Amino acid sequence: MSDEAITPRAPGKKVPIFSVTRVWTIAMSTVTQLVRMKTFYFLLAFALLLLVVGNVSFASSPAQALSTLKKVSFGAIDLFAWLFAIVATALLIPRDIEDRTLYTILSKPVRRGEYLLGKLAGVLVVIGVSLAVMFVICSIMIIWKQVGYMADEQAGGGRKEDIAASLALIAKNGFRIELAAAAYASFLKAAVVAAVTILLSTFASSSLFTIIISILVFLVGHAHSMATDYWLRETDNSMAVQMLLKVFKIVIPNFQLFSFSEGIVAGAALAPGVLWQMTWLTAGYLVVFLFISLIAFVDKEF
Amino acid sequence: MSEHAVEVNNLTKVFRTGIGNQYVVAVDNLSFRVEAGEVYGLIGPNGSGKSTTMKVVLGLMAASKGEAKVFGLDSGDIRARNEIGFLPENPYFYKHLTGAETLKFYGKLCGIRGKKLKARVEELLEIVGLEDAAKRRLGGYSKGMLQRIGLAQSLVQNPRLVILDEPTAGVDPVGSREIRDLILRLKEEGYTVFLCSHLLEQVQEVCDRIGIIFEGRMRREGKLEELIKIEKQTAMTLENASPELLAKIEDLVASEEGASIVETGHPRTTLERLFIQIAERRSKEKASAEKKEEAS
Amino acid sequence: MKKLLQKIPKWIQILTFLAVFGIVRAPFEDDLRMRLVSNGILLPPPAKDALGQLNQSALMGTLGGLRSIVSSYLVLEAFDHFSLKEWEELRSDYRVITALEPRDENHWRNVVWHIGINATANMEVDEKIPEFERMRRFNEYAVGAIELAEEGLGQNPDSAIIRLQLAEVYKEKLNDSCETARVYGEMIGLPDSPGYVKRFHGYYLAQCPGRENDAYDHLIRMYRESENNHLPSLIIHIKDLEKKLDIPFALRISDPYPPLPGQGRAKPENPDGVPDFTDPAPK
Repeated sequence: MSDEAITPRAPGKKVPIFSVTRVWTIAMSTVTQLVRMKTFYFLLAFALLLLVVGNVSFASSPAQALSTLKKVSFGAIDLFAWLFAIVATALLIPRDIEDRTLYTILSKPVRRGEYLLGKLAGVLVVIGVSLAVMFVICSIMIIWKQVGYMADEQAGGGRKEDIAASLALIAKNGFRIELAAAAYASFLKAAVVAAVTILLSTFASSSLFTIIISILVFLVGHAHSMATDYWLRETDNSMAVQMLLKVFKIVIPNFQLFSFSEGIVAGAALAPGVLWQMTWLTAGYLVVFLFISLIAFVDKEF
Repeated sequence: MSEHAVEVNNLTKVFRTGIGNQYVVAVDNLSFRVEAGEVYGLIGPNGSGKSTTMKVVLGLMAASKGEAKVFGLDSGDIRARNEIGFLPENPYFYKHLTGAETLKFYGKLCGIRGKKLKARVEELLEIVGLEDAAKRRLGGYSKGMLQRIGLAQSLVQNPRLVILDEPTAGVDPVGSREIRDLILRLKEEGYTVFLCSHLLEQVQEVCDRIGIIFEGRMRREGKLEELIKIEKQTAMTLENASPELLAKIEDLVASEEGASIVETGHPRTTLERLFIQIAERRSKEKASAEKKEEAS
Repeated sequence: MKKLLQKIPKWIQILTFLAVFGIVRAPFEDDLRMRLVSNGILLPPPAKDALGQLNQSALMGTLGGLRSIVSSYLVLEAFDHFSLKEWEELRSDYRVITALEPRDENHWRNVVWHIGINATANMEVDEKIPEFERMRRFNEYAVGAIELAEEGLGQNPDSAIIRLQLAEVYKEKLNDSCETARVYGEMIGLPDSPGYVKRFHGYYLAQCPGRENDAYDHLIRMYRESENNHLPSLIIHIKDLEKKLDIPFALRISDPYPPLPGQGRAKPENPDGVPDFTDPAPK
């Protein structure tokens, strides 16, 4: 070792109530961790899936082929988003506790809320980047197929009005910029799922437990609005069932609401203000679930 | 008023185990102080309450009763953690980060940024001798390297208090010696060092004061020399003493009323010192062989 | 306050906050959901009986918000049934598909095509089945296809492609010119309608007993609208109607019968530059 002098610093530096730098540092460390776990290799699998779906089609028409391509690719985007949100988030905090990395982090001037927020932010950065890349891959594929089908139609011959009708149908089922909103919808859903998983991981004993319970919560969150529609209207259901459904509705997020990507992909027009409302709702979920996670985590002993 | 670096007053920590009213008292009414600038060793066997005490001082746990303070601040206060550098027993760091990235990470958590952080990281890597391994991930580090990077991260924000948890556990004698030398150097530089260990002989060489904890309670505490000296006995080691000289000394002791010779014989080195001697000798041989090669 | 919170167990605090948040957000979410469903952005929940027909993985996919993936998979399965001529299984699959995605007009169009055109065609030629049974099934499939199309139009009132397929069934399988004309008439003005539906409405109206005057009025209006509409088939239909309805010569159109290949007439002129063979020849 060298004989470099070490000078102890002056005492009593103030610690800010909230430090964006610390949150961002933890977030970027989380991003690095997830990237070095080779999560982005999934994107290759996604691109391959699109190539297969785009070129092997049992559709009866180009319009339907495009519709199938869009549905499968955005369905895969949605699936990746929420599944990754659960698995990645469930690995983070329990692993830090098991490996005791948390000791060295919390022995620095880091508030527990900053730690939780940093972890969540890191996961969301990875999901956001992944979704953006997947959307670009998806768009390129759809546009490429759309251009090809349109060229085939024009070269195929036939009446002008028939060709025009076919081209219009292809265009209707082809690429629209509103599809970006579908990817954004998947991101919002994943954000809420990640917040729920963070809450569960603050008191769960292991990553596996967190993953299983998070998936169950997600499925219940999807099902309870259907269940509400079906069973709460039937008067011969027991009070217990009705109470249980109401409890689920109050406690568990309504994930079905975040599935509006399917409607956009199917061709529904995006009403003005919907994205803003869903964004605000997501922000509400994140704030509340992070706050509740902090309640569970602030006094946790290690 | 000179504040204590660490002040623990009537600390009690109780853990609930299982369902119902079963509990374990890990620390029982513990009190001690660590003065600024000294090296204090809290020693005791496994399960004696050392780690629990240390976690309370670090703010990782709250006391059931009593208090712990760091430079006058409650240990749960986040400002207290600005004063502390912590070297854990095992390398509790992210294995996916490189050495340099690890130091940058902890530096940023302490509020150091930009060029200052970069310079500090380079400085620390040089101090602990890990410049060549800076870009390697911690997953590929040896135990000794992990200890060194751990030490570096504990010093990243220039804390006033360094807490070392079993700093030499699992480290070879050469590494242990280096860590001990570093602790002494930290002391010279004005750091307060609070270490926990169950390796008693190694602690003996560095600590100014010692607290012996057993079953959650402080059993003995005080300056090292006072604790370990055997009252009424004096040790003397002679070199090249002739048998005649030894006989004269024996006669002298016999003539003194109340004094007696307890033990005579050749003093023994320790296995550790022997290991170090061999390693140092081998290191010198290699260095001179290299010089000869360069000259030829 | 801190001391009070410390006395309350954590799990009670957590459930309380969750409940309060749930109660606050519930009316907002219910309102938002209703608006999204009515705008077509959010798919309505699948029909209850459709859920019962899903196998477990499809149900999990549905509950996981992957209805489009589940339905895409079922479309593949249905195609398999089509290639094996398993019409009941195909219909069953499409019942689930259309329940999962009721607003995808392609699914409705496909099932009408499979049942109304392919299944009926199969009944026309499959000699393994006794003739009376083939006839019975033919009618059942044709009527079934019409019912499916009506159901699809209930979910997608402005769909042109479902109507096009329905018109095919009426035209090719049931030879019902009146209904064919009606369906083509409904398509006029719809956003994705092909341009020829307006003409075809007139052509089939002309073949519907008692509607010849309506057909003539419709076609002559088209003729007078624009010279671009002076297609050979339109001219032929008008001239035939003029004869049938005994329209005074002074009011008849001046165009001669255009030539059609294979019918002893000279080659027709066509403003598109392509022979107009696809329009139905008047009976």
